Amino acid sequence: MVQVKEILTKALKKLVYDPLKIILKSRRGTFGLIIVLFFTLMATVGPLIVRYDPSTVNLSEALQPPSLKHPLGTDWFGRDILAMLIIGSQDVLFVSFVTALITTSVATFIGILSGYMGGKVDSALVAVTDIVLTIPGFPLLIVIASVLRTSNPILLAAILSITAWAPLSRAIRSQTLSLREREFVEMAKCLGMPSIHIIFSEILPNIMPYIIINGIFAFTGAIYAQVGLFMLGLAPYKSQNWGVMLNLAVNYAGAVFSIRQASLLAPAICIILLQVGLVFLSGSLEEVFNPRLRSG
Amino acid sequence: MWKDRVIGGEIISEYLMEARKLTKEFEVSVGMFKSRAKIRAVDEVSFGIKEGEQIALVGESGCGKSTLGRLLLGLIKPSSGQILYKGRNIWRLSRKEFEEFRRNAQIIPQNPYDALNPTKKLSAALIPQILRHKIAKGRSEARKMALDLLEMVGLSPPEDFIDRYPSRLSGGQMQRVVIARAISVKPQFIVADEAVSMLDASLRVEILDMMHKIGEELKTTFLLITHDLGVARYFAKNGKIAIMYLGDIVEIGETEEIIRNPLHPYTKALLAAIPVPDPKIARERKSIPLKSIDVPSLLKPISGCKFHTRCPYAIEDCEKIKPELRLVGNRWVACHLT
Amino acid sequence: MPGNPIDVMINQYMQQGMSMEQARIMVSSLYQIDFSKPVWEQYIEYLQLIIRGNLGVSYIYTGVPVARIISYALPWTVFLLSISITLSFVLGIILGMFAAYRRNTKADHTITLFSTITNAIPNYVLALIFLFFFACVWKIFPMRGTRDPRIPPGFTLEFISNVFHHATLPILSFLITTVGSWILQMRGATISVLGEDYIKVAEARGLKGKRIMFSYVGRNAIIPLFTRLAIAIGYMFSGSVLIENIFTYTGIGYYLTYSVTARDYPLMQGCFLITTLAIILSNFIADLLYGFLDPRVRIER
Repeated sequence: MVQVKEILTKALKKLVYDPLKIILKSRRGTFGLIIVLFFTLMATVGPLIVRYDPSTVNLSEALQPPSLKHPLGTDWFGRDILAMLIIGSQDVLFVSFVTALITTSVATFIGILSGYMGGKVDSALVAVTDIVLTIPGFPLLIVIASVLRTSNPILLAAILSITAWAPLSRAIRSQTLSLREREFVEMAKCLGMPSIHIIFSEILPNIMPYIIINGIFAFTGAIYAQVGLFMLGLAPYKSQNWGVMLNLAVNYAGAVFSIRQASLLAPAICIILLQVGLVFLSGSLEEVFNPRLRSG
Repeated sequence: MWKDRVIGGEIISEYLMEARKLTKEFEVSVGMFKSRAKIRAVDEVSFGIKEGEQIALVGESGCGKSTLGRLLLGLIKPSSGQILYKGRNIWRLSRKEFEEFRRNAQIIPQNPYDALNPTKKLSAALIPQILRHKIAKGRSEARKMALDLLEMVGLSPPEDFIDRYPSRLSGGQMQRVVIARAISVKPQFIVADEAVSMLDASLRVEILDMMHKIGEELKTTFLLITHDLGVARYFAKNGKIAIMYLGDIVEIGETEEIIRNPLHPYTKALLAAIPVPDPKIARERKSIPLKSIDVPSLLKPISGCKFHTRCPYAIEDCEKIKPELRLVGNRWVACHLT
Repeated sequence: MPGNPIDVMINQYMQQGMSMEQARIMVSSLYQIDFSKPVWEQYIEYLQLIIRGNLGVSYIYTGVPVARIISYALPWTVFLLSISITLSFVLGIILGMFAAYRRNTKADHTITLFSTITNAIPNYVLALIFLFFFACVWKIFPMRGTRDPRIPPGFTLEFISNVFHHATLPILSFLITTVGSWILQMRGATISVLGEDYIKVAEARGLKGKRIMFSYVGRNAIIPLFTRLAIAIGYMFSGSVLIENIFTYTGIGYYLTYSVTARDYPLMQGCFLITTLAIILSNFIADLLYGFLDPRVRIER
């Protein structure tokens, strides 16, 4: 029993405490961490404490500037913006997260397989990857999303990943290729270790940092694609999704005339904050993984 | 060169590891239009290593010695020719037999900083293969064996080292762990590819001595690949040296004999090039007047003896006919002039 | 697919009194594809038409050839993207080299921070903010369109300034969100070139700082960036989809979105094709450039 507790505290120290120290040392890292935690909270806990039902339309209260009653004002249809923001965050974060997961997993799988096996398998996978790379991502996304109008978030995530995996897969493949030539891999092969062991024990741990950091970028890319898609009005209508809120902003921009209605852009600000926070956090994580980059 | 005896239907080779007309070609892209060219890194090499022998393979950079080493270990596939382990062609073995060969042929690579996985503890560098080949029956027994191995390579007390990460070791310590890794599966044959080249001079003797000790205790046959004749001489004191040039073995024989009386012109040149600290001896030494300092590129095939472009003693035949390794006394030399 | 415009059109013709067969023939000749054949055969006919330069006829803009729509829209997109990319790249390499030479000073830190932040901002979000403030609230720039249709096209100052007036916000959106990437890349490349031995040799030889900066450092640092530039051009086509939509800027991206929502398949395919071609072309140029520019690749071993 004591052993388990020991192992747990060691793991916690290595996975949480030490990285945290490094992240918190830099201003950017701290900022990024706070932002990410903030939005995670917003998406998970937020919807439980929201007072207004964002779907009720109340035209009498339309386009009100921020007030005590509506901290961020109301939109063109009288809906509370803050409430919509909080509920919408769930959609954005969840779908983007799943998308990033799918993108990263597929890219890792194909990249490592291709790089490690070489030969015909590699050639075939590289050809496929190259073809996917030349397909314009966002236009394809538009076409597919409009044809497959789905409100299933997982399916949406899958669609968003359709071309996103290709560039990452290429990068992982070249990492795998160079790792494959390292002497400790050569020794492992010589010692008779099976390919499965080499891939999981020797190669994977060495590209894990790369995968994690690119996973975060996959996340930012997913947010970009998802919100963009909703902003064009090409996905099923969930009115609180930030992208849909932006869609309304585009379509009804003509009705905006005063700076007091700036809160209509609240989702835009949130998106910017989230993206910047994620980028800062990934930069800080790079320092965690690569001791040489640390400045302190 | 090879004398196989057949006893009772089974081939008994007198060599543990043998190369027969072993050739390896690499394709290379050259220039902006990426035209392909072939480089023969190993050119129809034939030689054998007996069990228990300590052989040093010497040559300059790019002569193909590392490639030859890896061919012998089955890490690279030959373009043509055979590699025999105990008389059997390793590429014709069944899967189980090949696994057994695998276990018995190990490599000690050149760069200790690269030969250990930086993300894993030392225990992970030793235990997995012990378990895989069922040399021990459980994790605790395997761990005990790993501790013994660390002790054997001079990392004492082993308990201090086994849970460390490679970043906490010095270059010399890392190389010891690498050696421990190589012998963890109790191989019969080890190829040490420039195993001491990246170590400080003071450590080299220690490591070479350790390899000797291991050779004796575990009855392992060593092939040390090096570009340094001094290292080769020290390691293979009671063994043999093979000299390699541009993909060919030009001379093989007992170490002391070769040092005292080199027969092949290239061997003579190599020996003459070893810097000697005593200026008096250095002045007295005869230098070999090589025709050119440049080593010819392998991209253009050389006719006849590969050394003829630089050899000061070359005769007409040297340019036309390639000399084979012939027995001269108890030395094998590939030269028309012997 | 539901709401197939072909069927709708056939129905319309039938309502005008034609028989089913006649209606179908009318529609077929209009779009030059026989719709009664199985889909894959239709596709082959379509490919044949494309090779001959015929992209078909738009559904919604009934009767207008897709090629004409694209030839109208493409120049606008190219105009927008070329100005954006050029400005972004040039500004980026200047600031990048500037920051590299003043490494670890306050100027460098500011520039790097600015670049990282602006790079993270999605371009359409910035576009929206610009639209709101500069076009709707403060009315400095126009809200939509590529130009004022009342001004006749021509090389007049009035027309040209109007075009640029309309293009300013889209260009700014692109510029600000992409310049950061070039700054960071150029800065990184310059720093690594500055660390190379041949630079130290040049300094030791007594070459003037400026000469070193341009002939040696600049030239070597830019080489990897050129190929990425070519690739970036391809990706810009993807990105322009969103920005053109926000500003109702009638380029390829705008028509692509429009054709998707309106189910105008020929137009959609046409726009998609052009975008894909642009990306393939830019990748190809990037490959050529890389082989040509990097002298190390040229030298025979």
